[in-house]
Amino acid sequence: MNRTLRFVGVRLAGMIAVLLVVSFGTFAVFYLLPTDPALMSCGKPCTPENLAVAREFMGFDKPWIQQYFDFLGAIFTGRTFGTGATAIVCPAPCFGYSFQQNESVLALIGDRLPVTVSLAVGAAVIWLVAGIAAGVASALRRGRFTDRAAMTVTLAGVSAPAYLVGLLGILLFGFTLDVVPVSGYVPLAQSPVDWAWHLVLPWLVLAFINAAVYARLSRGQMLEVLGEDFIRTARAAGLPERTVIGKYALRNVLLPVVTVFAIDLGTLLGGAVITERVFALPGLGGLLVDAVHQVDLPLLMGVSLFAAFFVVLANFVVDVLYGVLDPRARVS
Amino acid sequence: MSDLLSPGGAPVPPAAPAASRGLWRALRRDRWAQASALVIVLVIIAALAAPLLALAEGQDPYTYHTELLDPANGTGAGTLGGISGRHWFGVEPLTGRDLFAIVVYGARTSFLIGLAATVVAIVAGVLLGASAGYTGGWWDTVVSRVTDVLLGFPQLIFMIAVGAVAPAAIPRPLLLIAVIGLFGWPRIARVVRAQTLSLRGRDFVRAARALGAGGVHVFRRELLPNLWAPIIVLTTVTIPANIGLEAALSFLGVGIPPPTPSWGRSISDAINWVQTDPMFLIFPGAALFLATLAFNMLGDGLRDALDPKTAVRR
Amino acid sequence: MDRRDFLKAVGLTAGVSGAGALLAACNANEQSGGAGTVTVSSGGTLYVLYDVTSQRLDPAKSSSLAITTSGLIHRRLTAWTTSADAPATVVPDLATDTGRASADGKTWTYTLKPGLKMSDGTPITSAEIKYGIERSFDAAFSGGLGYHKTLLDGGSSYTGPFKGGDLASIETPDPQTIVFHLARPYGDWPWIVSMPAFAPVPKGKGTDANYDSSPIASGPYQVASLTKGVEIRLTRNPNWDAKTDLARTGLPDEIVYQLGQDSGVIAQRLLASSGNDAFGFGASFVNPAQLAQIRTSPAAKNQLVTSKSGALAYLALNVRRGPLANLKVRQAFQYAIDKTAFQIATAGNADLAGPVASTLITQGITGREEFDLYPAPPNGDVAKAKQLLAEAGFPNGIENLDFPVSTANNRADLAQALQAALQRAGIQTKLRPLDDDAWTAIATGNDDNAYDLTLSSWQPDFPSANSNIQPLFGTSEIGNGGYNLSRYSVPEVDALITQAQGTVDPAAAGKLWAQADRRILQDAPVVPLIYTRNSFLHGSKVGDFVIGEFPAYPNYLQLGLAK
Repeated sequence: MNRTLRFVGVRLAGMIAVLLVVSFGTFAVFYLLPTDPALMSCGKPCTPENLAVAREFMGFDKPWIQQYFDFLGAIFTGRTFGTGATAIVCPAPCFGYSFQQNESVLALIGDRLPVTVSLAVGAAVIWLVAGIAAGVASALRRGRFTDRAAMTVTLAGVSAPAYLVGLLGILLFGFTLDVVPVSGYVPLAQSPVDWAWHLVLPWLVLAFINAAVYARLSRGQMLEVLGEDFIRTARAAGLPERTVIGKYALRNVLLPVVTVFAIDLGTLLGGAVITERVFALPGLGGLLVDAVHQVDLPLLMGVSLFAAFFVVLANFVVDVLYGVLDPRARVS
Repeated sequence: MSDLLSPGGAPVPPAAPAASRGLWRALRRDRWAQASALVIVLVIIAALAAPLLALAEGQDPYTYHTELLDPANGTGAGTLGGISGRHWFGVEPLTGRDLFAIVVYGARTSFLIGLAATVVAIVAGVLLGASAGYTGGWWDTVVSRVTDVLLGFPQLIFMIAVGAVAPAAIPRPLLLIAVIGLFGWPRIARVVRAQTLSLRGRDFVRAARALGAGGVHVFRRELLPNLWAPIIVLTTVTIPANIGLEAALSFLGVGIPPPTPSWGRSISDAINWVQTDPMFLIFPGAALFLATLAFNMLGDGLRDALDPKTAVRR
Repeated sequence: MDRRDFLKAVGLTAGVSGAGALLAACNANEQSGGAGTVTVSSGGTLYVLYDVTSQRLDPAKSSSLAITTSGLIHRRLTAWTTSADAPATVVPDLATDTGRASADGKTWTYTLKPGLKMSDGTPITSAEIKYGIERSFDAAFSGGLGYHKTLLDGGSSYTGPFKGGDLASIETPDPQTIVFHLARPYGDWPWIVSMPAFAPVPKGKGTDANYDSSPIASGPYQVASLTKGVEIRLTRNPNWDAKTDLARTGLPDEIVYQLGQDSGVIAQRLLASSGNDAFGFGASFVNPAQLAQIRTSPAAKNQLVTSKSGALAYLALNVRRGPLANLKVRQAFQYAIDKTAFQIATAGNADLAGPVASTLITQGITGREEFDLYPAPPNGDVAKAKQLLAEAGFPNGIENLDFPVSTANNRADLAQALQAALQRAGIQTKLRPLDDDAWTAIATGNDDNAYDLTLSSWQPDFPSANSNIQPLFGTSEIGNGGYNLSRYSVPEVDALITQAQGTVDPAAAGKLWAQADRRILQDAPVVPLIYTRNSFLHGSKVGDFVIGEFPAYPNYLQLGLAK
């Protein structure tokens, strides 16, 4: 128990360190860019005086390292931009204030998060189930038609750009067949049926694109496992094939699958940029792209940190899951 | 690649001849793998001989032929996007550039970037992942946290920054390979590390260590054979993914600058035209699809051939 | 009588109330042009499908044209009327005329129409206008069109009403009168007061950033709800009086903006026009591939509206760097370029792309003179270009010119057409595609040596030649975010600009601008390419979808829906 606690403690400290490095790196890279965030708030025509005013108001006139510490400090103490009647107050925990969107970054993320989570989790369930099923079926019928067909279909998914799959899906199912809505998002709380109905097509598109890796990985792993002594022993002992595959083999297939899955899901929670765009889903991915294109540093910092948090969390969960899935891999 | 692991640069014996002979024999039995290898070789030849092929057609991928376009909508005039004896694959909409020349020249760009970046990612990922999983301790912690950082890093902004900031003196292909490789290896490393952690506790690895085998020996003889399956799978899906990434990066401004042809850019351009000039998408798309399919099929064959356990069962 | 001609006529003669009465009476009318005519009437919900994710609704922060979104919500002192076959005109909006200038062109006086109210009931007086303008000077509300900030006397050092108190150069002798004192003579002031910052704001309101989400309206519509990045819903402002408004018809009951839509999907939805999509239009340009698709379908053609002219696309040559400092070399560029290839790369054919350009002042601007200093076939005169290069001392051509280009708006594709054309004359360029922000930073930055040539496009902010010439060729616009991308600085031209800006009589000013146009092109700092036409797609039941000669955007203020 004590060791588990220590393990968790060390990993948590590691997570915070990673997030700090990511935030610092993002900040530093942003300042490498030959762009000026104040230019977006300068107006037209942009006179040097206007530019200076905008820069000072947004806090971009200070040295960049000090801006970084201001950003970190605001998480604990909050922050006020400008002075007097028109000052903008961002209370703690303040992850920045987006001058482009007129909103605290935290509130913006809070608005968009449910969309991205709905999209990512739904799609992940589909591709995980479909991918593993296809992989295992292929492995059991290796070299035969089922194998080649399943691998070719999943391969089509990985070879096709998300934008193409999404647009063709919309053309086919949305316009030609007219069976599903083509865009928009309905909150789960408002109507669970409409929520799922609007997400069916994005889920399928995302799952189609992502399933290939899982199918191939589980196929390879399954073939590997089928050659292992314990499977042969189990078969020799006369256990039914269903039990051998379901109980012994599958469990061993999951390890690399779970690893890739955690990374994919973590990344996806940070925003599925193209899918969100094609289906007009207001998620985190779109927010990040806006942040990049509007040179919106606070928003960029906030969304990046948030995305990084998911990735780090996913990796942490995987490490813990290893112990459950494979006792031999328990961290010593 | 194992040479890189030996700390003092100590010579490591080359792979046993028996193993490669077995590999060859196994591959010779697999027709799918043979067909795939043939396709890959053909594409590589096409890439290398691109200028000759274009010369045979009498075209180049750069010259505008706006007179060949349908004035009504800007696509190639005539059937199927302007396919003719002079333009074997038709011409590109809005420019009239020869699509056949673009596709064969594009093979150069896409293969160079896709393969080289994959090699970088796989080599770095396997070495770091396996060493982290095998040695554990502080090295494991460092590698794991670095992968966390890279995976959590906003790659989009980084790539834009690099493209805008990198001096023009650095060749773009090199920059692309480095950037794609840098963000590609952590994924590989995570999987390999997990697999190694699991293998480390197995009897045969323990036995080898108990017999006094060194890290390099254990890695080569005990770990690597058991890592091939996931490595090959990851490699074969990483290549097409990287070719696609190259196209995406072209849009962000860090890809191979136009007018140098690239499949990825052609496909991205062609998506908009899918309803009016489908051949514009089909030719580069089919080239990419065939090549990636071949890589995957060959990957499967290799995996089976390399894996001693499944090979025995054949 | 066509209603638009009528409006234009009364706009210029200020027959205000009569026009309004007639306007209210003829709500049902037809749109001419295009085989399918849509009969519009009052009522219904108009959908605006947009690929961007945010819209500035705070008048201080808005930089939108007078005829688009902010114009639906905010009235200003003056407004624009547009017509498919005539230059845009400035008409009185909240004021009774377009402004009375003092003899020196430095003092402008406006009288407000009586009895107008905002959506919250506040009467619109000179105090609300003055407060709205003053508010735009506060650092918290910067970002909008700010031509007035340097033109108003004392504006350069003013910090807004919350910290800087009162701006003395705006006088309000009585609630109906407002007087502006300018730092220098400025003949285009009537256009400046049509900008969003000249909308009324109730005194004391709008102190926080949220005013951008819930501004108080003076136009036909007010914000009913706003979900950031997703949707803006506008409903009728009960206090708007159609009889007093020359620019807005206010036909739909509601207007809904759907933001963050993919442009490919927008086109498909509008072409299908099923359900509410029939009542929608796309606020962003239709791309060449979509144009090709639309042109193959006769039904779709009726839903496509292409402007007669538009922004000037031009190749800027950095006159401060390398071989391009040589006039002969820049003249060679004028002949080497293939404008036909550029048109095809823009939209598939010359018709949709827009006419070949030879002047800096764009079509649809009063006072424009047509001329061509470098006559050549549209696909160029390569021999002449080579000859000029040889005369300049480059008989073997020029190598390695740095050509950064933004990846936004197909620019990288367009630049390839230019690159291929220049190649014919032995001019070799290296394309450097960059994300739009990075490109802007380099092109408008302070480093004169950051590039050799670049591709850009300029849409004036208001329909005066002033807005074509000064931002692109004034010495003050080099670097610091300015758009003088050629880094062109000639004292004679600067003097001409100052003189033309200070000329109050539009005809006299127009002559000076045309003179400046010619004078600048003698130095060949840019290659004018085309006047880019913009194409927009609308649903099958949207009518009165008209794009004027200027600007090349549909007039949102006059759209109507079929039943």
